[in-house]
Amino acid sequence: MEMAIDTPSPSPSVSPAPSAAAGRQTRAAESVRLEHQLVRVPLEALRATARTNHRLAEKEIAAVLSSASSASVAPGESGSAAAVEHLTSLVSRLHGLKRKMEEGARAEELQVQRCRARLDRLAAASAGDDAEWEDIRLKRILVDYMLRMSYYDTATKLAETSGIQDLVDIDVFLDAKRVIDSLRNKEIAPALAWCAENKSRLKKSKSKLEFLLRLQEFVELVKAKNFLQAISYARKYLAPWGSTHMKELQRVTATLVFRSTTNCVSYKVLFEQNQWDFLVDQFKQEFYKLYGMTLEPLLNIYLQAGLTALKTPFCFEGNCPKEDPLSLDGFRKLAEPLPFSKQHHSKLVCHITKELMDTENPPLVLPNGYVYSTKALDEMAKKNGGKITCPRTGEVCNYTELVKAYIS
Amino acid sequence: MELDSLREAFDRVVEKRVLSSTKVQEAIDQIVNEVKQVISKMQMMDTDSMDSCDHSSILAELKAKLNEMVTLNQLEGCQKELNVALSKYLKVLEKSFNTDVSKAYRNVDFEDSTVNKIIANHFYRQGLFDLGDSFVHECGESDETYLKLPFQEMYGILEAMKARNLEPALTWAANNHDKLLQNSSMLELKLHSLQFVEILTKGRRDDALQYARTHLVPFASLNKAEIQKLMACLIWVDRLEQSPYAEFVSSTHWEKLAEELIHQFCSLLGQPSDSPLSVTVSAGFQGLPTLLKLTTVMAAKKQEWQTMKQLPVPIDIGPEFQYHSVFVCPVLREQSSDENPPMLMPCGHAVSKQSITKLSKSSSRPFKCPYCPSEAVASQCKQLHF
Repeated sequence: MEMAIDTPSPSPSVSPAPSAAAGRQTRAAESVRLEHQLVRVPLEALRATARTNHRLAEKEIAAVLSSASSASVAPGESGSAAAVEHLTSLVSRLHGLKRKMEEGARAEELQVQRCRARLDRLAAASAGDDAEWEDIRLKRILVDYMLRMSYYDTATKLAETSGIQDLVDIDVFLDAKRVIDSLRNKEIAPALAWCAENKSRLKKSKSKLEFLLRLQEFVELVKAKNFLQAISYARKYLAPWGSTHMKELQRVTATLVFRSTTNCVSYKVLFEQNQWDFLVDQFKQEFYKLYGMTLEPLLNIYLQAGLTALKTPFCFEGNCPKEDPLSLDGFRKLAEPLPFSKQHHSKLVCHITKELMDTENPPLVLPNGYVYSTKALDEMAKKNGGKITCPRTGEVCNYTELVKAYIS
Repeated sequence: MELDSLREAFDRVVEKRVLSSTKVQEAIDQIVNEVKQVISKMQMMDTDSMDSCDHSSILAELKAKLNEMVTLNQLEGCQKELNVALSKYLKVLEKSFNTDVSKAYRNVDFEDSTVNKIIANHFYRQGLFDLGDSFVHECGESDETYLKLPFQEMYGILEAMKARNLEPALTWAANNHDKLLQNSSMLELKLHSLQFVEILTKGRRDDALQYARTHLVPFASLNKAEIQKLMACLIWVDRLEQSPYAEFVSSTHWEKLAEELIHQFCSLLGQPSDSPLSVTVSAGFQGLPTLLKLTTVMAAKKQEWQTMKQLPVPIDIGPEFQYHSVFVCPVLREQSSDENPPMLMPCGHAVSKQSITKLSKSSSRPFKCPYCPSEAVASQCKQLHF
């Protein structure tokens, strides 16, 4: 990309028109490259499902094999009957496993289908129907936003009514919802189970979510005045984290001394309700990372980028055209902390037609210095017998008095 | 984007997944088979009342067979192959995509409630009233849904138009007669014309004439040509489709009028005719690649990125997002302002006022245009208004 300031090019016209179509294409291709989350999440879901299935199969088969080889026959008729019974139970166990594997395979196939649907969607980006592509894209992003904000019903409704279930990750989020709901009900167990399921990958990313959950459980024991239990809990579950998180560990174990009624600020906060909200946030972050999602909702990311690109000082003036999103209060509010965009070249918009004035539609200057597009003035002259009325000052002149402006 | 290479890599994942899955099924079947055989052997022997040492030897045989199958290793191998395929696919993904689109995100106040209001109103203005209501219910942002009622009215009018009923549209246009004229919109006349043609196509020539007298005459002074055409339709009654005025009865005519109605309706509401949320997100998709590259370049100055007041480089977004005229003085390379407005030289080239002051040594002498050989004096230059 060109980061350097362009050298002045003395071309007697506004931005080159012939490359407009090419520019559109590169922009479209570049924006498809942003769709990482779309293809990544179902792949991670497939990976997780395959891993769980494999583990289950491995565990069960190993158990059956060892159980089969430890089978022995006690002497006598009843002995052989017992052996047969034992083997029969193994068979039914294997049948159970087989059923589970079939279910697992179906789940995997569903994920595969999603992965494919998304590759197909990307192919649609260059198929030409920009309006349709952009419409679906916005809907996907809205579903993502609503799932992250826990607006599950509307998210599902939007996905169903637009037929984009394969392009959004409702069930992945519903899985996370169970953990989130339980944390909101002050239950730790489902979150810990989730950590156990994803142990190796959480370890790889140096996640301390499990530690934080354990700390909370410890604090709850202190709160309930189960001090002995708290101490043995700390020995078992907190001590292993000592080497990496000593400071936090020390701070939390000090609650044994301060108790939940303390007024000492640094310990008081540990007993507060918003610790649970904090855990929910922490869990969400880990969950997003694990599935290769962005930490912020996609909608916020694109809104910010769009507002930054659109923001000019002119947007905040009284005559800002209504078509500019930044003429609306909500958008202005969101754009407030963002930087203004920058222009290196003049870009002129006709006051009348709101179209760009370029070589195709060059700017014409009235005797009073007001500038409008050729298209607008041609039409006006045709309607009014060659007379031009400036819409902003009301001055009247002849079409022949107009001069062309060369803006570079 | 190399979609083909993505597909190829993914196909390998699928292939390995199928393989792994069938291997597991096979292994289970195999073990079941072996165990079942042993069971039936033992049951046969029982009837022959053999002693237990035979049973033990059969069991030992089973153990040996199961051990020979080395199933677990096989499964492990399959899983490994699947994992290899998966990581290869992941690598292709990393190469083909921007893996972190949040890199350029500013950690600033981005109020949920503001975003929620924007989304709710987006649903309403798209005519998705159920979704809007459901969203408002879930996010609890009920007091800022000002677009619901007006857009319900608009979609009511459009629905009626689809059923070839112009009454609600005409009522609305009559109620907003003055405002439409201020917008210099001919929508009301166009709706009346369409109604006139509708009556005419039903063959009721007298009614049509009556309608024209009451409803078209008030517009006659300003739109003579249009009304003459409509009156000429009277001659072609029964076969308007073959007349020079066939355009009046075509269905695209209806669609165009519906579009114009949407446009005017939004305009009178003080709303853009395209959803501002759609516009901003589309602009975001076009602008983000540049912003991401910029953050990479500025990686060392992260703090600066979070606080800068203006971007150091332009963002290339489509002309459809250009709402304001921006004049950049080609000499000073600065955007014009009230203090430093754009000026037109006699040759037709434009530069900023400050540049002219500089070039003319404070208007004291003639100067050459920076872009062409012609000369100018400062007093000949004229301020431009875009």
